[in-house]
Amino acid sequence: MGTKVEEEWKKGSADLLILSLLEDQQRHGYEIAKLIEVRSGGALHFHVASLYPSLYRLEKRGWIQGRWVEKANQRRRRYYRLTAEGQRVLGLQRKKWQEFAGAVGRVAGVQHA
Amino acid sequence: MPEWNLEIRKHLAGLHLRPEREEEIVEELSDHLQQRYEEFRARGANDDAALREVMGEIYWRDFVPELQILERTPWPDSEPQGAPASGRFFDDLWKDLRYALRMLRKSPGFTAVAVLTLALGIGANTAVFTVVDSLILNPLPVEKISTLAAVNTTLAKKTAQSGDLQAISYLNLKEIRERTHSFGRLAGHSYPMAVTMTDKDQPRRVFAEIVTANYFETLGIHPFLGRFFLPTEDTTPGVAPVAVLGYTAWQNRFGADLGVLGRTIRLNETAFTIVGIGPKGFKGVYAVFGPDLWVPSMMAEQVLPAEQRNALSDRALPLFTGIGRLEPGVTLAQARAELKITGAALEKEDPNVNEGKVLAITPLIEAAYGRERQPVVFGGFLLMAIVGFVLLIACSNVANLLLARASVRRQEIAVRMALGAGRQRLIRQLLTESVLLGLSSGVLGFAFGYAGCRILESLRPAEYAQNLADLRLNTPVFVFAFAIAILTGLIFGIVPALRSSRVSVSEVLKEETRSPGRSRSRVTLANALLAGQVAVSLVLLVVAGLFLRSIEHEYIIDPGFQTKHLALFMLYPGQAGYDRVRTEQFYKQELDRIGRIPGIDSVSWASNLPLWGRQETGIAVEGQEARKKSEAISAVVDTVDLNYFSTMGIPLVEGRDFSENDRDIATPVAIINDTMAAKYWPDQDALGKRFQLPQGRAFLQVVGVAKTTNYQTLGEPPQACIYVPLRQNYTDSMILYLRSERDPSTVLSAVQEEIHSFDPGLPVEDIRTGAKVIDQALWWSKIGVGLLGVFGFLALGLASVGLYGIMAYSVNQRRREIGVRMALGANQGNVSLLVLRQGMTVVGIGVVVGMTLALLLGRVLSRFLYGVSGSDPVSLGAASLALLVVAFVACYVPARRASRVDPLVALRES
Repeated sequence: MGTKVEEEWKKGSADLLILSLLEDQQRHGYEIAKLIEVRSGGALHFHVASLYPSLYRLEKRGWIQGRWVEKANQRRRRYYRLTAEGQRVLGLQRKKWQEFAGAVGRVAGVQHA
Repeated sequence: MPEWNLEIRKHLAGLHLRPEREEEIVEELSDHLQQRYEEFRARGANDDAALREVMGEIYWRDFVPELQILERTPWPDSEPQGAPASGRFFDDLWKDLRYALRMLRKSPGFTAVAVLTLALGIGANTAVFTVVDSLILNPLPVEKISTLAAVNTTLAKKTAQSGDLQAISYLNLKEIRERTHSFGRLAGHSYPMAVTMTDKDQPRRVFAEIVTANYFETLGIHPFLGRFFLPTEDTTPGVAPVAVLGYTAWQNRFGADLGVLGRTIRLNETAFTIVGIGPKGFKGVYAVFGPDLWVPSMMAEQVLPAEQRNALSDRALPLFTGIGRLEPGVTLAQARAELKITGAALEKEDPNVNEGKVLAITPLIEAAYGRERQPVVFGGFLLMAIVGFVLLIACSNVANLLLARASVRRQEIAVRMALGAGRQRLIRQLLTESVLLGLSSGVLGFAFGYAGCRILESLRPAEYAQNLADLRLNTPVFVFAFAIAILTGLIFGIVPALRSSRVSVSEVLKEETRSPGRSRSRVTLANALLAGQVAVSLVLLVVAGLFLRSIEHEYIIDPGFQTKHLALFMLYPGQAGYDRVRTEQFYKQELDRIGRIPGIDSVSWASNLPLWGRQETGIAVEGQEARKKSEAISAVVDTVDLNYFSTMGIPLVEGRDFSENDRDIATPVAIINDTMAAKYWPDQDALGKRFQLPQGRAFLQVVGVAKTTNYQTLGEPPQACIYVPLRQNYTDSMILYLRSERDPSTVLSAVQEEIHSFDPGLPVEDIRTGAKVIDQALWWSKIGVGLLGVFGFLALGLASVGLYGIMAYSVNQRRREIGVRMALGANQGNVSLLVLRQGMTVVGIGVVVGMTLALLLGRVLSRFLYGVSGSDPVSLGAASLALLVVAFVACYVPARRASRVDPLVALRES
């Protein structure tokens, strides 16, 4: 587990991360956690306690939608996909994040990657 | 494979999710954990290490509260925008109800105590309301009772009260009907008269009312079966012997036989055909006592006793009470004004009979009771108030239980508020819980009330049970019980709900332990409720005590005649078809033969039942005739046979008893009581003085003066009474009086056999001993006192259960404190005393308040008490003592438990 500050940042960015990962295809919870870990090069970890409450919240807001899918030789799993509203929010959040990160970067003197 | 499901469920348990939702989450998470576990295994970790890694990542401590917040927030899109508020209301209500049910099921002990407590309170209220509704509010099942009025005559002199209302003669009633226009219909009915009904050779004494043919129509009621009287059946005397049976009589005396219509029964030896059955619940217009059947007025001669046979033609013979239906738009005052004119005209036309009398009009609902109305109404509303207080005690008990529980549920409530539940919403939810509790209690309470009414009905004197008013558990009663159940739920729920919802979220959630706290104000409120309960119970006990003492005094009232060795037989030889000669022979022969039965001291005949004396007005004293008729003398008149005074144990203070010589041909004589002697012949010797009875026959000479007794009610103020000898004043409805040597019950069967051997056709149903006469006279008071006692003890019981509950709870809360005290050297005695003092202080305050209230109330009640003052020290003392003893026990048990606290255990616990 990271420091307190990292925790807060992680929370703040969780929505954006999840929505982004669901943009092109539907995925289940474990897959999302795995992808975040892999694509962040192991810098970000989302486990049960941080991932699922976020998923349920996004679902309640109507940005993503989960449904049970049964596949051969496999337990049924709950797959989440982006809704139209979620698509709109994702665009908005990306823009906001960009502005925010840029602003923080300029102030803190960090070169944008 | 590790048991993920179990592990997850364990952590979700505290959240109380919907089962389907919980299932989904468990399935999703366990799949996640399993995949993670397999990942670790794939990287080479062994089973244990993999399991540890997975478990270490979960952070339940973060997960559970987050999930809790999420799951309690509503789905914003679950309802379409702009859904009607009511939809949401019912949706919430449904959720609240289900939640409430779950909460109640979770604590069965609390629920059972609360429901039982409230049910007792609601049951008492339902029963008493049924009585009040059946007897006072809706005594008569007739149409629009507000437009019905009773018409009577009364004396013009202003002493006339409602109790002095007298009947109207048939001829006068006819005149009134023809001359007044205020009434759309005006009918007449007699009092219920005892007649002998013979059905299949079985003679029975029943009560019949003589009514005009339009009686039922005027009341707006319809027959249950068959028909009522036709106008043609009520025009010519004696031609239409038809009768209408009352519903209850049909049920009980004819086994609800549908074939009863058209059947012939004999009433006083005249054959009558049953043509109809009255509606269910209708027993005439006297709310208390009603007839078994009705006959048309033209058949009066066939059912009336000999001296009233000419009731249809004698204007001086009062028989009917008029019942009028006011024309639409006519007020009672207008009708009264019109009747005044009619009355004056009648007085002018026939001064002999009508002088000094005016017509009185009374709303039927008031007339339904006559002079009994005031005590009945008073008693009814007193009982209503009392059971109201019992219910309040029950409510405050349950409120206290809820307060105690509220402290246990503070965490739950704080969490729900933290999750965004509004205070209003929370209060509503808590109230739903208490109203649900109230309603369940209402169901049980209604059952209690029903049982209570059945018990009350079974207490009616058996001889008259069929003629007395029934208690009707009908729609108004049901509505009442339902309303009171909901109201109860609101009353006892509102304060705890307001309090519980006022928690400070951050405070409560910070509390480390889940152990309930009990703030000072909470204790104060509980104590105030307790003190109030104690006060109210004390007041109820005192009231019960006062009336108990009062009735005790009534029982030892000396009625002026002996009751210990007295027995009465109601015999109606005239109704068995005896003519005068045979009846007189019967009187003489039985006097002789029964007098010879061993164990019987003395036998006589009299026309009046003890305490059922009827007053006659218009007695004229010789030499004082100048008196206006409006100042007519009234006195109780009793026709008696030889030995009456010795049989009854009434001493003669002057003169002589009646003798064999007081026969038809001899000088007409009378014996008066000393009250009459002192009133009309003050400072003179009444012996030898003469007076005239209202029916204007010869002057009667006073030959004796007897001591005054009670004639109408126990403990009444002395009233004038005239005894006339049977042998000069023939009547065919005399009552056999006998005085036994020992307990009268020992000779009853011998007397019955004797009468039976004279004539098997004579009904000997109604036999009373002197003790029973007194019992019956005090029946109403006894029932009232019984109810007061039951409710007083119910209140005491409920209050002491409440006291015990709170004390036990508080001892439990203070275990740690008590432990500390004991560790510091307090001994068992100190601790007991500490707890006892706490409890008894509350009780003491309650007693002081209750005593003050009882003294105030006693002043109001004192005019309804007999021989006891409203501040009777015995009642006050006994009630306080009973209360203190019970309260002491209720406090002592928890105090003793407190003293047994083991300091080591108590301190370790926390």
